[in-house]
Amino acid sequence: MPSPRLCNATILSHTAAGRQYYRLVLKIPGTVSLPLPGQFVMLRVTDTIDPLLARPFGISSVLTRTSIEIFYRVVGRGTMLLSRTRPGRTLDMLGPLGRGFPMPEKGIQPILVTGGSGFPPLHLLAKALKKQKYRSVIFIGARDRSELPPAGILRSFKEQASALHITTEDGSAGKKGLITDLFAPYCSLPDRSVKAKIYACGPTPMLKSVSTVAAECSIPCFVSMEERMACGLGACMGCSVRRRAGGYLRVCKEGPVFEAEEIAW
Amino acid sequence: MTGEKKKQPDLSVDCGGIKLKNPVLTASGTFGYGEEYAEFVDLNRLGGVIVKGISLNPLPGNPPPRIWETPSGMLNAIGLENPGVEVFLKERLPFLRTFDTAVIVNIFGYSPDEYVSVAERLDDAEGVSGIEVNISCPNVKAGGMVFGTDLQATSDLLGAVRKVTRLPLIAKLSPNVTDITRFGTAARDAGCDGLSLINTLLGMAIDVRTRKPRLANSTGGLSGPAIRPVAVRMVWQMAQSVSLPIIGMGGIVTAEDALEFILAGATAVAVGTANFVNPRATLEVLDGIEAFMTDQDIGSLRDLQGKVMSR
Repeated sequence: MPSPRLCNATILSHTAAGRQYYRLVLKIPGTVSLPLPGQFVMLRVTDTIDPLLARPFGISSVLTRTSIEIFYRVVGRGTMLLSRTRPGRTLDMLGPLGRGFPMPEKGIQPILVTGGSGFPPLHLLAKALKKQKYRSVIFIGARDRSELPPAGILRSFKEQASALHITTEDGSAGKKGLITDLFAPYCSLPDRSVKAKIYACGPTPMLKSVSTVAAECSIPCFVSMEERMACGLGACMGCSVRRRAGGYLRVCKEGPVFEAEEIAW
Repeated sequence: MTGEKKKQPDLSVDCGGIKLKNPVLTASGTFGYGEEYAEFVDLNRLGGVIVKGISLNPLPGNPPPRIWETPSGMLNAIGLENPGVEVFLKERLPFLRTFDTAVIVNIFGYSPDEYVSVAERLDDAEGVSGIEVNISCPNVKAGGMVFGTDLQATSDLLGAVRKVTRLPLIAKLSPNVTDITRFGTAARDAGCDGLSLINTLLGMAIDVRTRKPRLANSTGGLSGPAIRPVAVRMVWQMAQSVSLPIIGMGGIVTAEDALEFILAGATAVAVGTANFVNPRATLEVLDGIEAFMTDQDIGSLRDLQGKVMSR
């Protein structure tokens, strides 16, 4: 009996979202288990052998029992070809894959930090947290206004958050600077009475500084890592990242979400 | 629609003393230790599983980035990351043994002694159908291809391994040589029972903006459909000059790809990089071969093996 994790996903909607992103809504069979926040899927962007490999994508929303939402940016030939696909097309999908974000214990305050195109998994997490009545503080950073999550997602983040902080490097939206400029002082507030947990997804340099801040403030921190992948199943060993205790960890299998202190930054 | 019912073709082959129920295997390093794919593939249906390379001691592998996609292929420099032979025997082999499929263990080392030690350990183990000796990995400095691109080193190494095991021995050969048939001859003379070819072709990709190699290891092994014509050619050349059974591999994605290798002279085939793209690739290849034979009224694989015609 072949696994339901290998399926055909049908494009329901595929539109530009803001100036940098595409929004892809996929219909998935009811047999596929719904992705947990932080899990990902592999999508093949063509039926041919070029490009050969499937691409990993984070999930931003589970819209219905049989539809999921993905945001991505065109970063190479694979995503460029994907951006040309139209509703009605089916794509080979593998997933959901990997280990997602662990939900916090009761009474813990979630702090979410995202940079650039790393927002989708944190959006799914923010929604799950809100549903369970957590009061999340959310930090969103970008190079400029156009790199921020598209308006609809930004609005949704605001709805899920008890407080939302935005920075852009050029000051075109929110506060000018890096997201850690706001995040770090917030974490080191001396009168912090509530225990917190940090969840982060974004460029590796951002994750590294987030994890440094987290360690300094002794706040547990979970990061979602990105690496180039071939199989997504832990077989090819292609997506490994360095482990602090020595050796490597596979982003697709042990991750993509890791405790920040597991990683050799 | 009805017509006469066609007979089920005989897909079984003998690969150097390893009895395979069908010719479809998994190429080492592309199927983990079987477990990774058991969710998608009924392992009982496969001719066999060639497991990811095993060394005497655990190896962490190379630093990232380890892979880079190329036209119809990929470069990898994983660095033979593996848990070592003891963990393999205790934790990986017992799972594979529960299936009715041949288990071929790919081995490598940094010295001939290491190869010999691993082969000795496997010789004692239950449930190992054969050993594939990797003398062709391009991604480790001291081992692998160093042996497989030097005729004398190939002979010495394979001869030493031959002495310590009764198991069928298959040499996995490097395509990164001028004349691969000489290495096939050396393997035969050293007492090998079969040949696997080809391993990856040594390649490189460069990021022109950073001016750095795409892989941390600088160079890596090229695999995938891009290398298939090279692999088919080498299998064909080998079949002309060395009488050992050949496991043909290199870019097989479809049954038709696999049939090319068989016509070129391969006894069995291994599906490699395609597993990464489609976890069920092995079964699709197998079903396709069977359908082709039924359709063409070919009763046995022997009627296809090496049956490429001259033009």
